[in-house]
Amino acid sequence: MSQEPLISVKDIKKHFQVESGSLKAVDGISFDIYPGETFGLVGESGCGKSTAGRTIMRLYEPTDGELMFKGNNIYELSKKEMQDVRKNFQMIFQDPYACLNPKMNVEDIVAEPLDIHNIYTNREERHRKVVELLELVGLGNEHAMRFPHEFSGGQRQRIGIARALALNPEFIICDEPISALDVSIQAQVVNLLKELQDKLGLTYLFIAHDLSMVRYISDRVGVMYLGKMMELAPSEVLYDNPLHPYTKALLSAIPIPDPEAQRKKKIIKLEGDVPSPINPPEGCRFVDRCPYAIQRCRDEEPEWRELEDKHYVACHRAEELRD
Amino acid sequence: MDNLLEIKDLQISFQTFFGEVEAVRGVSFNVGKKETVAVVGESGCGKSVTANAIMQLLQVPPAYYKGGEIIFEGENLLDKSEKEMQEIRGKEIAMVFQDPMTSLNPTMRVGPQIVEGYRKHVKMTKAEAEQKAIEMLEIVSVPQAEERVKQYPHEFSGGMRQRVMIALAMVSNPKLLIADEPTTALDVTVQAQILDLMKELQDKHDMSIMLITHDLGVVADTSDRIVVMYAGQIVETGTTDEIFNNPKHPYTKRLLESVPRPNMTKDQPLQSIEGTPPDLYAPPEGCAFYDRCVDSLKICQHHMPDATSHSKTHQSSCWLNHPMAQKQGKEG
Repeated sequence: MSQEPLISVKDIKKHFQVESGSLKAVDGISFDIYPGETFGLVGESGCGKSTAGRTIMRLYEPTDGELMFKGNNIYELSKKEMQDVRKNFQMIFQDPYACLNPKMNVEDIVAEPLDIHNIYTNREERHRKVVELLELVGLGNEHAMRFPHEFSGGQRQRIGIARALALNPEFIICDEPISALDVSIQAQVVNLLKELQDKLGLTYLFIAHDLSMVRYISDRVGVMYLGKMMELAPSEVLYDNPLHPYTKALLSAIPIPDPEAQRKKKIIKLEGDVPSPINPPEGCRFVDRCPYAIQRCRDEEPEWRELEDKHYVACHRAEELRD
Repeated sequence: MDNLLEIKDLQISFQTFFGEVEAVRGVSFNVGKKETVAVVGESGCGKSVTANAIMQLLQVPPAYYKGGEIIFEGENLLDKSEKEMQEIRGKEIAMVFQDPMTSLNPTMRVGPQIVEGYRKHVKMTKAEAEQKAIEMLEIVSVPQAEERVKQYPHEFSGGMRQRVMIALAMVSNPKLLIADEPTTALDVTVQAQILDLMKELQDKHDMSIMLITHDLGVVADTSDRIVVMYAGQIVETGTTDEIFNNPKHPYTKRLLESVPRPNMTKDQPLQSIEGTPPDLYAPPEGCAFYDRCVDSLKICQHHMPDATSHSKTHQSSCWLNHPMAQKQGKEG
């Protein structure tokens, strides 16, 4: 992947003002996403991964940072210019029950982006486009006049995907697209996403907490904790050779569907829960739960560095802990 | 192993505006003493209805019991009056629910909530009750229990809330703990803590656990035996090793294959199961998995398969495993 990145996230921050201070949901994360790749973003709930996705979409106005898309910083664009750029950015949401308007039929839902951007010239063209999109996601003409409640969760997620594809986007943010679905249906949707990527050359930002699915679908994976990026690497490297103590603990906690492997596995147990992102700890964010924390981790924030080729980590003790 | 709980041919339907939904269609399985039995299946397969039926928490109507027995320590729970059930529910059998936020009372301090049910069975003063609540929170490893009992549920994190739920269930030392998706709402690192806690409590108190989940990973780690349900029926049961290493029912096989394994590469497609489970308003007369099964035979469409035994502990209901079907082959 030697090309130019499609998207370059530079030190973006999103803080929310709340009663008791500033909630630092995303606090300075940087990464590049290359054309045609799937970038996985994982972390526990409350780590800021969904906020990061929404800030990249500019659904939230960023507190700070730059988002370069094809050489332009889209955070500087006016509302009008933004609308044009947004055709290239689409999003698939977690809850297929909440993200489709129950009062609209499927044709209107899928055609809504086309309506907004005035893509078609007449009704027939609109209908033809909708059917094309539905066929792309494994549905058909017969579904166009139905309403969301007539569909199962997996089918609704397909409708959401068809809507996201309506404007021929280059980049799609998938925010937990499969977590609300049953296991057997999850595989259908993941296979569909991969198929569409091959066919249409899409680039994905895949946000999820299901680590085994992220490993499977992503080329590179970033691990977030309390608004910060802890580690970033190509997915095999990250899963086989994690450097950050948090990544190690997170990976060891995945239950493997294999009784023998599971019995042999050593789980690194983390005490406690993710602390509040309101006034987070100084120094390393992970310090209170880290089994290897030393005084330096409390005083000094670890630097984000490329420790091995394409393998970034933010930990003072990463070298020592490597073996 | 003695059976603590025996479910025999349980059938439960719901009367709805559109007709009858046959949610549980003849389910039989046992839970032995000190054993963990996992009930696995997709949403709508009847696993939670079965659990709620054991606790007699289903509202009748719309639900009604069409047949079968739930034998707990030799007595059929379906014959019990509500008053008799109150002596069992919460005391002998306790339940932990999926979502700790909606199952705890948000307007009540945590301490009184933990002992609320217990005080119905055992007379105690307020001070003793508080002491008991603190003790329970300590058992489930909630730090600073003395202060925590005075807090409200919203002051607890998800993992801590689930610990409170477990404390609440454990307060009268139940013989059977039914855990309905206890970790589904939790993060993986917290999930590991909760599963650990449940195992620890089981060893300490010689308790049986019925674990209801859709997550095969969780099951591999915690259960002794697995019951796989599909469309209101049991399609396969066996020990954890039998189910994972030697699944016999096509549904179990496909279910195991639809989860990415750690050593899978990106270009291997996941095995998905096409289609969706059948509508239980009008359940199919034959095998419920017929429509989605790639190996189906002609007979599957019209005749329900009997259970075939593969070992003392391992049974599956599929025509492919029937001794006669082997000869006929797949073209039949």
